[in-house]
Amino acid sequence: MASLSPPEETAAAAASFHHRRSKRYSSSTTNGVEPVPDKRHKISPPPSFISPSEIESEFSHHDPAFARINNGSFGSCPSSVIAAQRDWQLRFLRQPDRFFFDELKPNISASRAAIKRIINAEHEDEVSIVDNATTAAAIVLQQTAWAFREGRFDRGDAVVMLHYAFGSVKKSVEAYVSRSGGEVIEVQLPFPVNSAEEIINRFRTGLALGKANGRKVRLALIDHVTSMPSVVIPIKELVKICREEGVDQVFVDAAHGIGCVDVDMKEIGADFYTSNLHKWFFAPPSVAFLYCKRSGGDAGGNLHHPVVSHEYGNGLAVESTWVGTRDYSAQLVVPSILEFVNRFEGGIDGIKRRNHESVVEMGEMLVKSWGTQLGCPPEMCASMVMVGLPVSLGVSSETDAVRLRNLLRERFSIEIPTYFRPPGQGEGEIDSITGYVRISYQVYNKPEEYHRLKDAVNELVRDGFKCSSLTG
Amino acid sequence: MAADDRRNGDSTNHNHRDPKKPRLSEFLTESDIRSEFAHHHTGVARVNNGSFGCCPSSVLDAQREWQLRFLRQPDEFYFNGLRRGLLASRAVISDLINADDVDEVSLVDNATTAAAIVLQRVGRCFSEGRYQKEDTVVMFHCAFQSVKKSIQAYVSRVGGSTVEVRLPFPVSSNDEIVSAFREGLKKGRANGRTVRLAIIDHITSMPCVLMPVRELVKVCREEGVEEVFVDAAHAIGSVKVDVKEIGADYYVSNLHKWFFCPPSIAFFYCKKRSSELDVHHPVVSHEFGNGLAIESAWIGTRDYSSQLVVPSVMEFVKRFEGGIDGIMERNHDEAVRMGLMLCSAWGTNLGSPPEMCVGMVMIGLPSKLCVESDDDAVKLRAYLRVHRSVEVPVYFLGLRDGEEGVKDKDSGVITAYVRISRQVYNETEDYERLRDAITELVKDQRTCQNLPPV
Repeated sequence: MASLSPPEETAAAAASFHHRRSKRYSSSTTNGVEPVPDKRHKISPPPSFISPSEIESEFSHHDPAFARINNGSFGSCPSSVIAAQRDWQLRFLRQPDRFFFDELKPNISASRAAIKRIINAEHEDEVSIVDNATTAAAIVLQQTAWAFREGRFDRGDAVVMLHYAFGSVKKSVEAYVSRSGGEVIEVQLPFPVNSAEEIINRFRTGLALGKANGRKVRLALIDHVTSMPSVVIPIKELVKICREEGVDQVFVDAAHGIGCVDVDMKEIGADFYTSNLHKWFFAPPSVAFLYCKRSGGDAGGNLHHPVVSHEYGNGLAVESTWVGTRDYSAQLVVPSILEFVNRFEGGIDGIKRRNHESVVEMGEMLVKSWGTQLGCPPEMCASMVMVGLPVSLGVSSETDAVRLRNLLRERFSIEIPTYFRPPGQGEGEIDSITGYVRISYQVYNKPEEYHRLKDAVNELVRDGFKCSSLTG
Repeated sequence: MAADDRRNGDSTNHNHRDPKKPRLSEFLTESDIRSEFAHHHTGVARVNNGSFGCCPSSVLDAQREWQLRFLRQPDEFYFNGLRRGLLASRAVISDLINADDVDEVSLVDNATTAAAIVLQRVGRCFSEGRYQKEDTVVMFHCAFQSVKKSIQAYVSRVGGSTVEVRLPFPVSSNDEIVSAFREGLKKGRANGRTVRLAIIDHITSMPCVLMPVRELVKVCREEGVEEVFVDAAHAIGSVKVDVKEIGADYYVSNLHKWFFCPPSIAFFYCKKRSSELDVHHPVVSHEFGNGLAIESAWIGTRDYSSQLVVPSVMEFVKRFEGGIDGIMERNHDEAVRMGLMLCSAWGTNLGSPPEMCVGMVMIGLPSKLCVESDDDAVKLRAYLRVHRSVEVPVYFLGLRDGEEGVKDKDSGVITAYVRISRQVYNETEDYERLRDAITELVKDQRTCQNLPPV
């Protein structure tokens, strides 16, 4: 795993370093206000790690009424990073032409350089910054579509993806691949899952199907961490299998990657890898990186941002730095994020480790109280885990799951995604668990929040609650 | 207008008046306006609103409220607040532009994105055999560079051909433009081809001219052009926009240029048809297939706050006499007045008559500056920014063989223009500083070949 070195600050970033550190996020802050002097520098070092009360302060804008145990969906952003983002927004508003001509590109480069180091990419050219994994998917799938349209791929050649791929990605595959003549193979994965081998075996089967009748598998689209149900996929092994089986390109959708699992591009070995920074890496919405391995292959000439600007043809990374007038501030705060995570013991690695330990601990606490099970063994989860809901709740459809989620939000002020797992998938299962919640653990979470969830569900069980009673 | 009664989002209060100060007059004073734009760099003569627009503090505050709502409880906001807020913005715009149905109005990041959407569609028609190879896309030669690249990426790549119509400039009447365009369409139809798409700017960017867009669309219909796309990046807040009157199939305008929105937001109008419109947002989400407006309302986790403040902008413009119409009129009149002041001081010309300008005017630069290339124009612009704190874009007019060009008072050919913008925050002094900067360069016998280094 590449180590985190202190961020290289551009002159601009250095100049506003103290400026940023002193700002706190508040909705009443006016533009252009003089910065509050940073008192910490007067009291003085040595720097110690961030304290629990400082963490609370960094996330004080979160709604205090809620048990916010769903970091996985929309992520979180600490006040210091929001303040840094405000600074960038202000610089644009102040003199946008000068910002565009002199500041934007070098500072995006600084973000890209920081990401390149974190993910152990070979070269900065391999790192593009885009809005989110959804955008990255469109970019990769568009190049696949061109290959079909221009006859480099034969009609009916296959794209293999996981059945649990994210909904938007599936639609993107439909829009770009199916529409241009590609065949889509979905690999069914078991859930609950007991071992990485189960996934590997199913994937091999899926690839074999893709290659049936002399077809070529042109693209394998694999999640690093599936969203729903959430499981960490043995990605290194799957990429190796893809290479053995002659798959043209491998695209890893790691929306939940950076800040959640280890992201080492050279180790993983994929052709494309995308991850959102606003989920587990404390960025404001929204910013993601798309890594594209430099190779002699065709991809280089055909990878384009779909929003074409005057930068068209200068390489994806440069194209992505300008997609028309936009607010690029979320892409500029990566150095500030590094400052933030380095206030924690062990930096981002320490955060990941502790998140994992805590989510497993909370998951096991819930499982014990509810008499259910986790959706996977602890080593197959990172900072999220699926926890089975008591069978008596009677989750019997996706609609039930959604309504139960709404109930938890509205009655108990608990924010948690729910999942309906159709019965009968396993062998000889009796009383199979059909409802799961996906709990997340991030630095701002506390055990009380999970106890609230535990108690809410136990209350529902005690009251003889059934999902069938829910409407709307 | 019904839009006036709309509230922004839910219970958040968007009343930004200091409660201690009673409202003395209905309209913003000059000092109020300065306060709204206090975040602008005060040292700079910012006469280039056209490029990146501006956003007043009240709207920035409203934007922060939306951002805070998301950060506070993002799931709740996503499930209960976002779509309603976007629909409110779309409804305000739909009223403003006289669309038949709010379904026709999508919100996208900017005109560049809308161009990609239209051109991807055209590209698919070529790829899927609905259009014949060599069928044409017709546009003006001064179309925005991103649009040209988009045509290359999506149309030329699949066998479509393009015809560029040279915009007469300097220009003195709409007829010149309409004639040139007719010629271009004829070329596009030569050898049995069909013109599949005409791209017309409502207000060209560089050089900047208000185009006779209604007439041009009519000509397109007369000449059997399949679809018309109006790139009106500068239009809303510059000129009246009535999409039914204009009659185009597609019409896009940025709200962050002249309509006081923060970066970035554009509305993209797609005229309803009897058949299903095969336009899609290129960033495909689970909303794929539900219509462009719905697709655009969710393109993955993003900060949608700039798209949510349109009702707040309406509140802001109402604080000006005559609302947005009053603002447009005064911007135009002042820009023209300043333009005439400059060309009088420099002995040059306006690039188009006042009725073909909006809140932007092209003014010829003295020939003595010897602007001989695009690079010279860039150099001059940088000089003005760095040494004179004047922000103004410079346009190099390359004359073609046989063209005489327009001469200035020194009998030299005018080869370059500045494009001045006038928005509510501008003051006369901004233009005087520009005037003096150029005048002094000429007095000091400076040319683009011997400018002080930046």
